[in-house]
Amino acid sequence: MTATETPPRVLIVDDAATVRMYHRTLLTGAGFEVDESVNGLEAVEVAMSASYDLFLVDVNMPKMNGYICVEALRSGAVGSDAPVVMISTEDRQRDADRAYAVGANLYLGKPVAGERLIRIATMLTAGRGTPE
Amino acid sequence: MNPLLAQFLAEANDLLASVDAGLLQLERDPGDPELVNQVFRAAHTFKGSSGLFDFPELTRLTHAAEDLLEAVRGGRLPLDSAMADDLLATFDLIRGWLAHVTTHERLPSGAGTDAAGLITRLRAPLGGEPRAAVQASSTGGITTIGGAPDWLAWFDAEWLTATASWLDITSSTMRFVRYVPEADCFFRAEDPIHLVRQVPALDRLGIVQPATWPEPGEYDEYVCLLSFVIATRAAIGELEHLFRYVPEQVQIVELDAGAITRHVSGEPPLKAEERVTVVVAEVRDSEQAADARAVLHAARRTFELHPVEGAHLRSVARAVSAAARALGVPKDLTDADQPRVREAVDFLLAEATPAPLGAAPAATAVPITPAEPAEPAEPAEPAEAAEAEPSGRADEHGGQVGTRVLKVDQEKVDRLMELVGELNVAKNGLTFLADAAEEEFGSRVLSRRIKDQYAGLHRIAEELQSGVMDIRMLPISVAFGRFPRLVRDLSRRLGKTVELHTEGDDTMADKDVIEALVDPLVHLVRNSLDHGIETAEQRQAAGKNPAARLTLAAVADGDAVLVEVSDDGRGVDPERVRRTAYEKGLISEDQRESLSDSEAIDLVFRPGFSTAEEISDLSGRGVGMDAVRASVEKLGGTVTMRSKLGQGASTRLRLPLSMAVTQVMVVSVAGQRFGIPVDLVVETVRVPAAEMGRVLHQDVVVLRGDVVPVLDLARLLEMPSRDEGADRAILVVTVNGQRAGLIVEQFHREVDVILKPMEGLLAYADEFSGTALLGDGLVLLVLNMKEVLGLAARTA
Amino acid sequence: MPLELHDDTATLVGVVTVDEVEQLVGWLRAARKPKVSLRRCNHLHTGALQALLLFKPKISAAPNNAFLAAQVLPLLDSSQRNRR
Repeated sequence: MTATETPPRVLIVDDAATVRMYHRTLLTGAGFEVDESVNGLEAVEVAMSASYDLFLVDVNMPKMNGYICVEALRSGAVGSDAPVVMISTEDRQRDADRAYAVGANLYLGKPVAGERLIRIATMLTAGRGTPE
Repeated sequence: MNPLLAQFLAEANDLLASVDAGLLQLERDPGDPELVNQVFRAAHTFKGSSGLFDFPELTRLTHAAEDLLEAVRGGRLPLDSAMADDLLATFDLIRGWLAHVTTHERLPSGAGTDAAGLITRLRAPLGGEPRAAVQASSTGGITTIGGAPDWLAWFDAEWLTATASWLDITSSTMRFVRYVPEADCFFRAEDPIHLVRQVPALDRLGIVQPATWPEPGEYDEYVCLLSFVIATRAAIGELEHLFRYVPEQVQIVELDAGAITRHVSGEPPLKAEERVTVVVAEVRDSEQAADARAVLHAARRTFELHPVEGAHLRSVARAVSAAARALGVPKDLTDADQPRVREAVDFLLAEATPAPLGAAPAATAVPITPAEPAEPAEPAEPAEAAEAEPSGRADEHGGQVGTRVLKVDQEKVDRLMELVGELNVAKNGLTFLADAAEEEFGSRVLSRRIKDQYAGLHRIAEELQSGVMDIRMLPISVAFGRFPRLVRDLSRRLGKTVELHTEGDDTMADKDVIEALVDPLVHLVRNSLDHGIETAEQRQAAGKNPAARLTLAAVADGDAVLVEVSDDGRGVDPERVRRTAYEKGLISEDQRESLSDSEAIDLVFRPGFSTAEEISDLSGRGVGMDAVRASVEKLGGTVTMRSKLGQGASTRLRLPLSMAVTQVMVVSVAGQRFGIPVDLVVETVRVPAAEMGRVLHQDVVVLRGDVVPVLDLARLLEMPSRDEGADRAILVVTVNGQRAGLIVEQFHREVDVILKPMEGLLAYADEFSGTALLGDGLVLLVLNMKEVLGLAARTA
Repeated sequence: MPLELHDDTATLVGVVTVDEVEQLVGWLRAARKPKVSLRRCNHLHTGALQALLLFKPKISAAPNNAFLAAQVLPLLDSSQRNRR
């Protein structure tokens, strides 16, 4: 990522306002542009009309959980190929497997230490799919 | 308070409310999956959000609750009332903790101990704790120091800086441990690394190697040469417990952002002889690599699960490319098919060298002195690049998505209300000015114009006031919300079956009124459960439904709100009330004969009255009902009770919708002005002295056929009264349904005032309910008519 | 058996305890170009790690164990590079 590019856009999908605020504070502080959605359904709707360089998706949410949300993000209607990091308090292999099966690219246990979140977001948005 | 914590507390409040309501409903309808889900999700969100802060006990406790709820949700456990009790107790404890957090920004010191028992109980239905319970115990032998110690230099400055800023965001602290095992510890079956691995919430570990290694030939493999520096989010208690067998080898220090920052910004370097190989600087690179490897492992796992195509495959390719770049082995995987991506993943994982190729040849660990820890100008890592990137578009945070409810600090609304009150007072000043214009300066025109201005200002002030009042309005359900729990707990304790119904939950009233309503309502509900409602057997014997019905109902009535607590219990026996009141000396023999049933029932509000023959631990003690009346009347409301023997009782509270602004009528007595709440005033009349009558030592006046007792307010307030003059100005008020006339010197206007409680010397003067500032700067004493008339009754 | 020792290669398996330390050190002293696979190793006793740090064998396979991979492997890797 070079300084001439626009900042990478991240969509934070989490029903917990505190977690959203935490992630937003970290990422905006690191120069990301951040939008938020409070559940999977809203995230899918938002992603249909805007494009993001990274999704941070919680698992357990009302209306539409994270798995279905990620599946929808990868489906024809949205068809996003941006990296998806699922972040959940459920830190078990089968939860991670389910996340990978529906289209997540990384599965992390909550809470993610601030520097690690920034590091991973930076890594996954560097280049942003455009080959160098 | 930092905004993230404030946000968490606000969110926690909502969550607690939803958990409580959900659990109570669940107990009644244990099969409702939606309810289970709702409570589970609240607990889950709690756990997740609490993890952001330095509240390990809170996280552990909510985790235990969540696990239990998940078992219920998954149908593995039926929810029984013991579990519901434990869950409710859990969230009660949390509520208490959060109140502590609100003021102190940390959990109470006994949190670990308080939580331990509950965690055990919550985990019991699931087969006990997953691992040995961590009991926070103070072993005392461990050194816990406050300032940043020298050995903090073993963590690299960059990481410390990042950590400090993160601690700053979350207003939290981190624990740092220095663990220097004794040289012969292996002989005591100690394995320091094993101990270190058990450090909960490990954030950073530095394994410190000796400055000089012995020659391999002289190496004694049973002498421990390594030591450790650890950064963790675990609580000090947990660490003390973990290291309880080696306390003399351990130093624990708790540091906040400030302490770390001070350390980083040039602190005493370590002594030269402590020159050591610092490995933690290296870990940073490898952390980047570890993240990359995590992405690669995820990709490999994805391919193992099932074939991937389309957008999903492209996303994996993107992620893998990013990981490759981070590992220093760029791979162009644009439009690569699955086998190619997979091949790249395998290649990169096999490569497994965390060192970025071509980048930073000197970045790998070299022995450095902590005194010069920052070998600067390392090739910029992506993270740094991100930080360095101008975030000039921060203002273009295009559409924040999602419904936004504005949560406003209560204090701000209160401040707004105060200002409205001051505006009212200032506005009132205009009427004095108008009077002065006419009376002192003789300008009726100016007076008229001031009054016109006043009228315009008055209208705006009124609208502003009603607007602010509207913000302050809350549905009465806020007050009702705590009763399901209360009724459930009390009825269980009393062995009675009670169904609680609420009506008019969305009736709105000012938040002060709602808050003030809670205590009287609790009293009334307890009283009803304790004395009114019979046991199921008694009810059956009386031919009633064994389950009693308790109703809380609210309805708006003009400027007031009516709240009624009614039950279908045994009701109040007027005869028994008469007898008790007589026996307690509250009424005379005559009154015992003459009081009507409804008057008799009203006696229960008398101080010192209690119908319960036994004092119960719930509401007995004979203070209840008179306290209710006193507190409601303090709010400017009234309480009445109706009852039908054997069929139940209902108590009705009538409260003003808002207490913020009071309209008072200003009167003067003996040259001094007093305020009387307008809603008590029935009329003002002037009566010729000759028409005053006297019945049974009491001055009276006949108004439209009614005989109204008349009292001299001046005399009541022990001020000189002037009887001269032909007419008497009489203010007729109603208090407790009784009309009374008050002789005053002069009537003035009605004004809107903000009532302030009495302070200082007058704080105990019950005949005043408060003071208010008038527009002309004078302080008005507002009379508590109930007390003033009570004074009359006592002195009569 | 936690130690599978060959001439120049060793595989550490499962939990390496203090009982294996002496044997491991003996092998490290004897081997000319020691290579150690940590892939299947879940825990290294402090004494074993200390020996690896001192003798700096080449790590032929990274541990699967998350703790060892994240916290211990970097030390061994860096010591390896240091020697070169």
